[in-house]
Amino acid sequence: MRSPRILAAAGTVAAAALVLTACTPGGGSSESGSPDADATVNVGLVLEPTDLDIRTTDGIALDQVLIDNVYEGLVSRTAAGEIVDTIAKSHEVSDDGLTYTFDLNDGVTFQNGDEVTADDVVWSISQVKDDEGMQGHTDLANVTSITATDDDTVTLALSAPDSNLLWNLAGRAGLVLDEAATNDLSTTAVGTGPYTLKSWKQGDSLTLERNDDYWGEKARVKSVVFRYITDANAGINAMLAGDLDVQTAVDANLATQFDGNADIEIARGKTTDKYTLAFNNKVAPLNDMRVRQAIRMAIDHAAVVKAVGGAAVEQGGPIPELDPGYEDLTDVAPYDPTKAKELLAEAGQSNLTLDLTIPSFYGTSVATLLVSELEKVGITLNVKSVEFATWLNDVYTNKDFQLSYVDHAESRDFGNWANPDYYFGFDNADVQRLYQESVAAADPETAAAKLKEAARIVSEQAGADWLYNAVTLTAVRQGVTGFPTDSTSTRLDLGELAVQE
Amino acid sequence: MTTIQTGAPTPDPRRVRQLARRSSAARRGGRPAGRRTWWRALLATPSGLYGVVAVVVLVAAAGVSLVYTPYDPGAANPYDQWFGPSLTHLMGTDNVGRDIFSVLLAGSRTTVQVAVGSALIAAVVGVALAALGSLTARWVREGIAVLIDILIAFPTILVALMLASVFGGSLGVVIVAVGVSFGVNIARVSRGEIRRIARSEYVLAATASGLGRGRVLTRHLLPNIAPVFIVQLSWSMALAVLAEAGLSYLGYGAPASTPSWGRLLAELQPYIGVHPLAVLWPGLVITLTVLGFNLLGDGLRDATDPRVRQGGNR
Amino acid sequence: MIRFVLTRLLLLAVGLLVASALIFFTLRILPGDVAQVIAGTQSTPEQVAAIRLSLGLDRPILVQYGDWLGGLLRGDLGSSLITSSSVADELAEKAQVTVPLAVFSLVIALLFSVPLGILAAVRRRRVSGTVVSFVSQGLAAVPAVWAGLVLIAIFAVWLGWLPPQGFPLDGWEEPGRALQSLVLPSLTIGIIEGAVLLRFIRSAAVEASGEDYVRTAAATGMTRTRALITQGMPNVALSVVSVLGLQVAGLIVGAIIIEQLFSLPGIGRMLVSDVGNRDLTKVQGELLALTAIVLVIGTVVDIVHRLLDPRQRETA
Repeated sequence: MRSPRILAAAGTVAAAALVLTACTPGGGSSESGSPDADATVNVGLVLEPTDLDIRTTDGIALDQVLIDNVYEGLVSRTAAGEIVDTIAKSHEVSDDGLTYTFDLNDGVTFQNGDEVTADDVVWSISQVKDDEGMQGHTDLANVTSITATDDDTVTLALSAPDSNLLWNLAGRAGLVLDEAATNDLSTTAVGTGPYTLKSWKQGDSLTLERNDDYWGEKARVKSVVFRYITDANAGINAMLAGDLDVQTAVDANLATQFDGNADIEIARGKTTDKYTLAFNNKVAPLNDMRVRQAIRMAIDHAAVVKAVGGAAVEQGGPIPELDPGYEDLTDVAPYDPTKAKELLAEAGQSNLTLDLTIPSFYGTSVATLLVSELEKVGITLNVKSVEFATWLNDVYTNKDFQLSYVDHAESRDFGNWANPDYYFGFDNADVQRLYQESVAAADPETAAAKLKEAARIVSEQAGADWLYNAVTLTAVRQGVTGFPTDSTSTRLDLGELAVQE
Repeated sequence: MTTIQTGAPTPDPRRVRQLARRSSAARRGGRPAGRRTWWRALLATPSGLYGVVAVVVLVAAAGVSLVYTPYDPGAANPYDQWFGPSLTHLMGTDNVGRDIFSVLLAGSRTTVQVAVGSALIAAVVGVALAALGSLTARWVREGIAVLIDILIAFPTILVALMLASVFGGSLGVVIVAVGVSFGVNIARVSRGEIRRIARSEYVLAATASGLGRGRVLTRHLLPNIAPVFIVQLSWSMALAVLAEAGLSYLGYGAPASTPSWGRLLAELQPYIGVHPLAVLWPGLVITLTVLGFNLLGDGLRDATDPRVRQGGNR
Repeated sequence: MIRFVLTRLLLLAVGLLVASALIFFTLRILPGDVAQVIAGTQSTPEQVAAIRLSLGLDRPILVQYGDWLGGLLRGDLGSSLITSSSVADELAEKAQVTVPLAVFSLVIALLFSVPLGILAAVRRRRVSGTVVSFVSQGLAAVPAVWAGLVLIAIFAVWLGWLPPQGFPLDGWEEPGRALQSLVLPSLTIGIIEGAVLLRFIRSAAVEASGEDYVRTAAATGMTRTRALITQGMPNVALSVVSVLGLQVAGLIVGAIIIEQLFSLPGIGRMLVSDVGNRDLTKVQGELLALTAIVLVIGTVVDIVHRLLDPRQRETA
């Protein structure tokens, strides 16, 4: 059984505000000039990892800074969602989808000087496969054996086809670590990537430095400093004052402060951040589909987009545009308060009071709007603002909630809808069957088509309401090029980052 | 010092002593200040007058908001966001299009609740600890003293944070956290004074004549310490309003379903560079109200202090 | 006297023990735990259980308390459940920001509150004194967040004189830059706290000016102001110091809001984030350290008072 594979609320607990993300290369203007190989780039981020242990600690804040930069896997994901070979020179999938063969690049070295061997790869993946305490463990559920067929080849055998496997191997499950290394993963890192982890000052910053012995194309800047700034205004000011070269996740309502500043450009990027108003589908009154639909129809999603400064697109179903299986489902539950009231009356719930549990770092603007919208159809919303740790305990683990609001930032996380034990409590046999078929599908097109069909059912059954799919703004200083701008909250591949003199 | 507005009120030991002195003098003999002169003295000082006016305006605003606000303070309409001040929207609108004036008007109810609620809790905690710390056996007294010192080391903000973790962020959390912290502080400040009164001749005489401890407490100690407490509580209310603002900034204040000044300020603060005027309003009403409670406390202190009145200083 | 000191020290030890229990068991009420935070939103219950086991969180709570207490007796504050780094080291690192911040704020507060407070007392019947009192009342009433925002808007964004946020990466390696970055935060706290302190000093000075020894000094030909300053000050100072002593830990943690607003990596922010992550060994170590500071200062102040104050000595 696949366990929930998703990232709900963006990672660390203490952080305020949200994170958006993106990954199309190329924010910033391309000014001609020679790159400055000695440059240091200061990047403002919002959410800080709680710990650097890539093996056990959850959190996209960790993936964001370390994967692709410090740690690499056999394969990796591009901004467009394609799989490309990294440590693997090439890979091959057998026709029955049960055997994956990876041919390794020569001369790949760890940052401590050790050479990467097929045994390191086998050890790394086996570790995750064998230890259920590790992040990514459930991603390898279908894998039955991991073997080094020769010095340069690693073969994975599967019990059943898994169309998600390559994608998952480009995440935590497929990272390659040094079997011989004895460093403390909590505070240090030894990977194969273009940057080394120089230091982590908890509560303040994390510094990467160019790995001069990198086996591939070397990084173009000397170092990158990530500064964790939770106060939105402080981030803007730091950018204006020149303390930062890049600020990610700029609040769209504040972006006008950069207007007229020829030195700073704002790039808009797509994300897979799904701001989800989750319903507890298992408990009354939300086990009544009419109530769930009424709530969806009572919310003016265009107004929600407006409230977040326009940095969002309406999303009518569980799959965002960047993921396979996307389809515009916004017409499934159009804004219609009159119809919403009728549905509520039909369900015998004309005077309803509901609790909304929301982690406190999301701010209250959207919650304020929800209270107002639902009041118009006769639903009184009690907002419970809690710490993320409390949310994890009450909502995620104990499922003790009615409505919940978090950002599901992770990409390709549709599996949650096929898992009745997930906190959504959504249990639909058709969706589960379609999802299984999608996983088992041999070609990507079939897989996507199945997901699309399933996503429509979830939306029509009003499994949740998707308030919006975030658009992320990145402020980039003139002369900085190659900074990713799509999905910046989940991955920041800085291989192309450069500063023109 | 107030530990940047989520800490505890700063006591004024001199006033504590004077008030108790005066009050016990009043009990023992003549009545230097009748109720009417006391009230008049309060209004005669500029600070007392401002304090009374500010608090009356606050309470009136809270009352009015029960029956009337220009717009529904909860009605968010993002299409109307960021209007400047005008005749239709006196203070403009906020980021989700609410009428700022209406939110502030309705928010005054929350402010009154926070101020009164935390003052009541502070009073109960303060009296209980002070009584336990002065009337009981020596080892209990010392124990209470140590406990108070420990509790003082627990900053209000952490108490609020822990309560919010258990119960979720809410007004109740703010009220309890602020109330308990201030109560502990008041107990610390008045401990010495209560002990002094407890050893005074008339209390000793009362005890000697067979009056029980409880009676001594209600007949002699509480009436004598009451003026001190009232002044302290007025200051506590000021700090409670500030604490609500501070806690809201950290995400532990009133929930989104309750209009509140602190939360409005917290929501709007990032926009100071874009819409400075919108950020001005909540800051201004908080400042004016806090000033009101503080000056009311000062006025009460001066009005109940015979030496100050006779000396004519303010 | 020796007996008094010994009693106070014994009380201090008892106080610390009580505090440790209070802190430890109160924190255990918090919902959620560190294992859930580490495992996050991709976790299975088995995974959370495995982490709990590896951290020793499955042991009886009294055993955990005993372990912690044992460590404390050896002078070990414990280590983080998440990163395993030493709590004492973390505190020492963050103190490099928070302690200077607290000290500068206090200095700024004292620098303007003492002279202005005395001025307000001496001239309390004149316009200047009333104006000083009133302005200080107004400043004391400003919400800290708002005051910080206004200072940032003026001195960092508009005039560009000072950094709007942050602390240098290399800490105090470049003292000039570190100092610069603490100016606005210290000013924010200093002005507000100073305004509060000013009120206190004013009334202490008014009190002192009515005392016999000041009157006597004034009668011998000194001006009232001079008499107040030379004769009354020691008493004013004594009462100010005892109030300040109480507030030290509060000042450190109270900086939470300011550290957040200015993105400073200090103790206050660390504490909030540790509570959020349910890194309880870290939180309890930090809280105990703060409590210890307050209790020790309280004890020292008590003993010093006893030594200095002749009245207390007599009645003892």
